[in-house]
Amino acid sequence: MLTYIARRLAGSIPIILGITMISFAIIHLVPGKPTSAESALNPKVSLQVRERIEKLYGLDKPIHVQYLEWTRRLLKLDFGRSFSDGRPVIEKITERLPVTVGINVLSMFFIFIVAIPLGVKSARSSGSWFDTSATFFVFLFFAAPTFWVALLLMQLFCITLGWLPISGITSLDFEYFTFSQKVIDIVRHLALPVFVSCITGLAAVSRYMRTSMREALQQPYIYTARAKGLPERTVLYKHAFRNAILPIITILGLSIPGLIGGSVIFESIFALPGIGRLFYEAVMMRDYPLIMAEVVLGALLTMAGNLIADIGYAYVDPRIRYAKKVS
Amino acid sequence: MLKISNLHVHFDLDGTIVKALCGVTLGVNLKETLVVAGESGSGKTVTALAVTRLLPAAARVTSGEIYFNGKNLLLLEEDALRKVRGKEIAYIFQEPGSFLNPVYMVGDQIMESFLLHQGLPRVEAFAETLRLLELVKIKDSRRVFFNYPHQLSGGMNQRVGIAMSLACRPKLLIADEPTTALDVTTETQILDLLCELKSSFGFSLLFITHNLSIARRIADRICVMYKGQVVEEADAERIFCSPQHFHTKELIHAYQTIGTQ
Amino acid sequence: MNKLLLVGIAIIGFLSAAAILAPFISPYEPSLIDSASLLMPPSYAHPLGTDGLGRDLLSRIIYGARISLGIGIIAVGISLCIGVIAGSVAGYFGGLADSIIMRSADIMLCFPTFFLILATVAVLEPSIINIMVIIGLTSWMGIARLIRSEILSLREREFIQAAKAIGASHYGIICRHLLPNALGPVFVNATLGIAGAILLESALSFLGLGVQPPVPSWGNILIESKATLGVAWWITLFPGLAIFVTILGFNFIAEGLRKHWGYNA
Repeated sequence: MLTYIARRLAGSIPIILGITMISFAIIHLVPGKPTSAESALNPKVSLQVRERIEKLYGLDKPIHVQYLEWTRRLLKLDFGRSFSDGRPVIEKITERLPVTVGINVLSMFFIFIVAIPLGVKSARSSGSWFDTSATFFVFLFFAAPTFWVALLLMQLFCITLGWLPISGITSLDFEYFTFSQKVIDIVRHLALPVFVSCITGLAAVSRYMRTSMREALQQPYIYTARAKGLPERTVLYKHAFRNAILPIITILGLSIPGLIGGSVIFESIFALPGIGRLFYEAVMMRDYPLIMAEVVLGALLTMAGNLIADIGYAYVDPRIRYAKKVS
Repeated sequence: MLKISNLHVHFDLDGTIVKALCGVTLGVNLKETLVVAGESGSGKTVTALAVTRLLPAAARVTSGEIYFNGKNLLLLEEDALRKVRGKEIAYIFQEPGSFLNPVYMVGDQIMESFLLHQGLPRVEAFAETLRLLELVKIKDSRRVFFNYPHQLSGGMNQRVGIAMSLACRPKLLIADEPTTALDVTTETQILDLLCELKSSFGFSLLFITHNLSIARRIADRICVMYKGQVVEEADAERIFCSPQHFHTKELIHAYQTIGTQ
Repeated sequence: MNKLLLVGIAIIGFLSAAAILAPFISPYEPSLIDSASLLMPPSYAHPLGTDGLGRDLLSRIIYGARISLGIGIIAVGISLCIGVIAGSVAGYFGGLADSIIMRSADIMLCFPTFFLILATVAVLEPSIINIMVIIGLTSWMGIARLIRSEILSLREREFIQAAKAIGASHYGIICRHLLPNALGPVFVNATLGIAGAILLESALSFLGLGVQPPVPSWGNILIESKATLGVAWWITLFPGLAIFVTILGFNFIAEGLRKHWGYNA
C-alpha cells in the first residue's frame, strides 16, 4: 500500500510540471507579447497595465528564465497582484473559495444520496417500469444545458412564483437577521444553484452506479451468496454493493474538473461570490495574474482530487491494499 | 432424498427461447455419491442450480418437480427456500477464486452462514469457523481467516469454498466441477478431502463433472447427460462395463484415450 | 437498427437539413432589425416571437443551427485527428512515445476544460475559428485513450502478427488493420463529443465569450434572456430547447450505436 502511494505521488511530479508549463504557455499564446494582445472585448491594454505585466513576467528576459522565475514564485503561492484592484491574487481567491467549495460539497452530497440508491434500484429491477423511467430522466438531465435550466428555474421560482430570491447568497438586510433567519436566508439563496449544479452529476452517477451494480450482480460470488441462503437484501447491499461502489470513487475524482468549470456558469448566473465568478470577471477584464492563478490552482486541485480518489480506491479495495508482490 | 422428475428449463435470450433442459429425471439417495457426467452445455450446471432455484433471471422452469425430503422445492415460498439453501443443500462451485467475494475476508464469508442459519454469537461463530478451516486441512487457520481470496491459491480457495458449504452440516452437497480449475495434484487432494468429509459428515453428494476418471474414483452411481436430457443412469460399475447409450461410450472412449496417453 | 438510433438520426437529420437550407426556410433575415415589433410574443408573423431588437427568433435559431452544429462537428473533427494519431502512435509503438503522449493526456485531463478555454479566449479573441480549435485541442484525450487501449488489445492478435510476418509497414498495419477494428467505440465517443462541444460552445457564447453577436448562435441568443426574464419567456425557452433537443439527438445516436454494436460500457 505504501509503495503504491509512493509510486502515485512520484507519478504526479511530471504532471505538476506539465500543468505549470501549459498554464505558462497560454499567456504566451499570442503572437508577440501577451501585452500586445488586442481583443474584441478589450481593444486597448493601457500602457500602465502593459508595464506591469512586463515586470511581472520579466518579459525582457529569455523565455526559460521567465518560466523558472514564474514557477519559483508559484511555489511560494505568489501569483502577483490583480490588475483590477492591485490586491494580491491569492488573497482574492482564498476569500472566494468557501462559497464554491461549499456549494460543490453540498451538491456532491445530494448527488450521492440520491443517485446511488437510484442506480441500485434501477440495476436490480432492470427493464422494469422504474428502470425505464429512470433511464428516460437520465437522458433528459444529461442533455439539458445547465445554464438554460437555471434560467428556466429562475423564471419559474423567482419571478412567476416569487418563492426564491433571484441572485446573491444573502439578502441585503442579512446582518439584522437572527441566526435561524440567517440560515433560512442562505438556504433560500442556495436552493437553485445547488440543484442546478447537481443535475449533470445526478444523471452521470446514477448511470454509473446502475452499470456497476448490474455488473456486480452477474458475478459468480453472487451465486455463492444466494446459495448460502442469504436474504436478497444482504446479497444486494452487502455482497454486490460493496463491489459496485468501488468504481464510483474514481468517478468522484474525475468529476472535479467538471464541477470547477461548471461553477463559472452557475456562479455568474446566480451572482454568487465564488471563484467561478471571480474567474469570469478576470477573463472579462483581462486580469492575467488572476486568470493564470486560477487555471494553475484549478488544475492542481483536480490532480490532487484524482490522487486522493486513487489512493482511497486502493485503500478500500483489498486486492490493491494487500497486493501480492508482483515481480 | 432428492428426486428431480421431468424438469424442463428454458432460457429467454432477447426473445429467442433456448431449451436448456428437456425433461431431466434423476434422484440422489441418502449418503450416496451421484456423479452427473456430460460434455459442457449438456445441462449439468443448469440442473444443479435449478435444485434450489438459483437460476439467472433469464431462465424459467416450465415444468417438472424437484422433491427434497418430501418438499417440492419449486413450489416453496422464497423465505422457506432460503432456509433450505446453505442449511440443507449447499454448493461448491467451479472457479473458487471468483466464487468468493473479493472484498471480504474469507473467514467472514464462512462465518456468515453460522450467523445466518444458526444464529450463533460472533465469538462462537469465529471459533466454529476456525474449527471448520482446520477440518478442511488448512493449517494456519487463524491467518487464512483474515485473508482475502486473491491472497490465497486456487486450492486454498476451494478448501475455503468447501468449508463454507459445510458450515451448517447440509444433508446434500452439490459440487459443480469443483476441481476443473485446479491442477492435478490439488485436484487429487480436494477429491480425497471431499470423500473423507463425506464419511465424517454423512452428506449425500451430487458431483458434476465432464471427467469420467473423476467419476470412476468417487461415484456410487453415474448419470450421463446429453443435450439437456439424462440418457443413461446406472451404478458406476455398470456404466463402465456395459455402457448403453452412444454418448456414454464416447465419454468412456475419450477418458480411455486420455488415460493411455 | 433500434428505436433510439432512429429517433436520434431523425432529430439530427432534421436539424442539419434546417441548418443547410437556412436561407430558404427562415422567414426573415436573421439580423433584420424591426423597431416596430420589439419583444413580440409568438404569433403568426413570428412563430417563436422576436427579441429586443425586433429580430425574428425562429430565423435566428435556424441560422444559429449552422453555427452550433458546425462548431460541434468541426471541433470534434479536430479532436478526432489529434486523438486518433496520438492514440495509435502511443498504442502501437509503446515505450517512450507512449509515456510522453499518455502523460500529456493526463496533464490535459487535469485542467477544468472550461477554465482552459476561457483563459485562452481571454488571451486570443473569441472568434468562431478560435473556439473550434480550442475545443478540439482540449478534448482529444478521451479518444486517444480509447484508440490506445483498443490497439493494445488488438496488437498481439494473430492477424496483426500475420500482417507483420508478411512484412506490412507500420503505417499500413495501423491504417488497414488496427484502426478499422477500433472504429466503433471511437464513433460512439465522437458522437458524444459533438454533443459536448455544442454544449461548451453554447455556454461560452452565453457568457459572451463565444460566438460574438450579431452572428446568431444558440448560446448568444440566450444572453438576452437574462435581461428579459419575466418579460419575454420565449427568448429563454426556444433557443435552449434547440440546444437541448440537439444534445438529446446526439446522445440517442451514441446510445443507439452502442446498443446496435453491443458495447455495454
